[in-house]
Amino acid sequence: MTDTLDRAGIQGIVARGYSSLGHARFTLFACDGQSAARGLLGWLLPRVTTAAPRFSADTAVQVAFTPAGLRRLGLPETAVAGFSLEFLAGMAAANRSRFLGDVGESGSRGWAWGGPAGPAIDGLILLYAATAELLDERQAQLAQQLAATDARALAVLDTLERQDHEPFGFHDGISQPLMQGLPKASRAGGSVPAGEFVLGYRNGYGQLTDRPLLPRSADPRQLLPPDPGGSSQADLGRNGTYLVLRQLEQDVDGFWNYAAEATRRPDGSGDRCAQDALAAKLVGRWRSGAPLVKAPYRDDPALAEGNDFGYHHTDPMGLACPLGAHIRRANPRDSLDPRPGTDASVQVNSLHRLLRRGRSYGPAGGSPRPGGATGLHFICLAANLARQFEFVQHTWLNDPAFNGLYDDSDPLVGSRESRGRTFTVPARPVRRRYRGLPQFVRTRGGAYFFLPGISALRYLEQLPGSVPSGPRTG
Amino acid sequence: MPYQVGVTIRAEVSPDQLPPLRKLLADTGRKGLTEPPFDFAHLRGVHFARLYLLDEVADLDGRPIPAGLVFMSEVDAPLRRHLAQLIDVAGDGIDQAFAHCAGYPGPGARRRTRIAWLRRHLVPASAYYVNTVGRGLDQIRQEAKLRDALEDRLDQGGWTGRAAAGVRQDLQDYVAGRGDLSWAWRPPPEPPLLFRIREAVHKAAMPLLLLLLMPVLLAILPLWLVALRMSELAPQPEIKRPAQPQLARLQAWEDYETQNPYAVIGFIKPGRLHVLTMRAVQLATSYGARHLFTHGSLAGVKSIHFARWVPLDGWRRMTFVSNYDGAVEAYNDDFINEIWWGLNAVFGSAVGYPPTRWLLWGGARLEQPFKYTLRNHQVPVPAWYTAYPALSAGNIANNARIRAGLPGEMTPVQAEQWLSLL
Repeated sequence: MTDTLDRAGIQGIVARGYSSLGHARFTLFACDGQSAARGLLGWLLPRVTTAAPRFSADTAVQVAFTPAGLRRLGLPETAVAGFSLEFLAGMAAANRSRFLGDVGESGSRGWAWGGPAGPAIDGLILLYAATAELLDERQAQLAQQLAATDARALAVLDTLERQDHEPFGFHDGISQPLMQGLPKASRAGGSVPAGEFVLGYRNGYGQLTDRPLLPRSADPRQLLPPDPGGSSQADLGRNGTYLVLRQLEQDVDGFWNYAAEATRRPDGSGDRCAQDALAAKLVGRWRSGAPLVKAPYRDDPALAEGNDFGYHHTDPMGLACPLGAHIRRANPRDSLDPRPGTDASVQVNSLHRLLRRGRSYGPAGGSPRPGGATGLHFICLAANLARQFEFVQHTWLNDPAFNGLYDDSDPLVGSRESRGRTFTVPARPVRRRYRGLPQFVRTRGGAYFFLPGISALRYLEQLPGSVPSGPRTG
Repeated sequence: MPYQVGVTIRAEVSPDQLPPLRKLLADTGRKGLTEPPFDFAHLRGVHFARLYLLDEVADLDGRPIPAGLVFMSEVDAPLRRHLAQLIDVAGDGIDQAFAHCAGYPGPGARRRTRIAWLRRHLVPASAYYVNTVGRGLDQIRQEAKLRDALEDRLDQGGWTGRAAAGVRQDLQDYVAGRGDLSWAWRPPPEPPLLFRIREAVHKAAMPLLLLLLMPVLLAILPLWLVALRMSELAPQPEIKRPAQPQLARLQAWEDYETQNPYAVIGFIKPGRLHVLTMRAVQLATSYGARHLFTHGSLAGVKSIHFARWVPLDGWRRMTFVSNYDGAVEAYNDDFINEIWWGLNAVFGSAVGYPPTRWLLWGGARLEQPFKYTLRNHQVPVPAWYTAYPALSAGNIANNARIRAGLPGEMTPVQAEQWLSLL
């Protein structure tokens, strides 16, 4: 069943990664009181970019809120309680940190933002622009507005000019799920129901993912769309989704040094080809992006965008692309038990997809700068945090027993805190085991946000002033 | 070779004993059962064990069901030895825990008295699933050791350009030189003859019995179907999302090891229809677990080491307990995607389960209500023991394949395939 997407009612980042807008800056903010929050949202509202077709602007603005931000806007607790349990508990909750692998050096106590020790974040503003000058100009306007409305920027996350390669040097962002209702999906098979990425539409089970529904009386101006589930309630969630933001610091030198050391010839000399090959095994793609299942022996830039492949029939043992390689874990495609190689396996896989919208950060031009950390401001969108983002993070990326392995976490992004320090490269006659794999990626900040639909933004902007909390009726 | 039994001991806890018992269990936590005073690591053949509390509740008629302390273990037979060792080896811990229970004879009492008390408090399971029937703890540990030895040998390198058969020969020679691995040349012992005869008889007898009863069952079937469907069409209470404190209590004890302990408990819907349905489904489940799903997969779910269903309080309540690999979200997804029909049959007669259609459909396929109801009925298991915290069921099965392929001749292709297990 395909729903018609209300594209003009959805924030644009759901439909596009703004590849034409090469410059971006993400502002985490907090407000002093409801009027500040409302003032800021009121200023943002006419500027927020929607997912309407034919986008051609030279800037874009998106806004998302934490539970604290929604409360700040005056959303009553009964409504806040309708959001997902993971969103309400937050990414840095103690048990969740263990679950997500945010322990040890990735521990939330050491985070630059979003950790339990830091100030509470109300929301996130994503600013995109075609040029650096334009971005600076818009960011200055935003800063001005924040000051004028008693809101504060807690952190401004700068990004590198958009490029195809992430900081380790690999072509990135090739495999994105195709969302039903968007034009690309109708041209290709294997699309994913819109409800996997936008609330208020049918998800992979043909059901409506839980979202906050309000009694009609809570929306006297009828700003919100009706619950498509057929209840008489107003749908605060429809056209919105959850946004995961994580600052993932990448140890680029550590990564390449490891690959160099591990592939040194017996005489101690370096082997550039072997180094590149090991790095590709860790990732599952060559630097160009060519997938190992299609280009097992050497990089082939002609296959750089290669995304039409499975694992089970071509490479069941992982001889080309190791069973534990990053892309084989982050998206196992057709290799999931108990029926690998079948449509059923692909079907189950599609229940765990993420729309990725991250941008890299670091020293511009890649020039080394003391203390200049580099990495990815990872952003993903998902309607069900538990079944999508958290599942991928724990069960696919961090579980040392994934795919029949014993002690291998994701070789690129996995946590090595307690276990998972092995990387196994299947080969004939004998596999090669790399023990004591260092941790290449550390979490430096993170939070869950709700990215409201346009109607929900309008609704949130006009909520009445704080009233004494009490049981609500109607 | 032993077969594995599931032991359940349940005893009543008086209200004043609850706080100290709760504290004892939380303090025991994940490491506590391994070490003294429990010292489960020194019990013979214990795969998993747990101690947890069932809170006091009122049943559906408002009658109180007192709080209970539950001990469970998955252990290699014989049961007699296990019960004796619980007192002889783990006695200090068992005394400390069960001292909070009504009527426990206490540490001062004779050994025989205490064992007899434990035996009196055994609760039978209505169905019991074992990932691989007959694979005892010693075998699991030995085969893990064999794999480690072979992997270490392979790590020494120098294999490039060698034929698979030659590498395998080298590994065989290596194992031959290790006296501590001499057992690896023999296949693991089979379960005792008596056990195998008993299982074979049961496997054949049940279908025969079913055939004999068929006329009666066919006569009842339409009536049962009508009654079932009518009860399904009656209004059902809304399924609430779990409260944050309940989630926090559960999450505090999850995801420390490769496996997790699982326990849900709920009331069986009132009326003879539902108890009868539950009993019938349990018979089928038990048959399936004993005779059909005995080698590595419970109808497609491969991540469960052990599972059991235990009716409590005269079939007023049913509890489902398992030891499974990975996270609870993934476990629930397996339920929904692979064995939704089984879950529906088993739990469709339970209060608070998402509405089913003709017992098998609906239910678990309602993803979020299903996940909520499981969380709502889940019980935290703080004190839990696993004998092999780093081994998934898939790892254990792979280790067994490695051992099975060690002796004998192989074609080059077979040798290549065998080496790919490492």
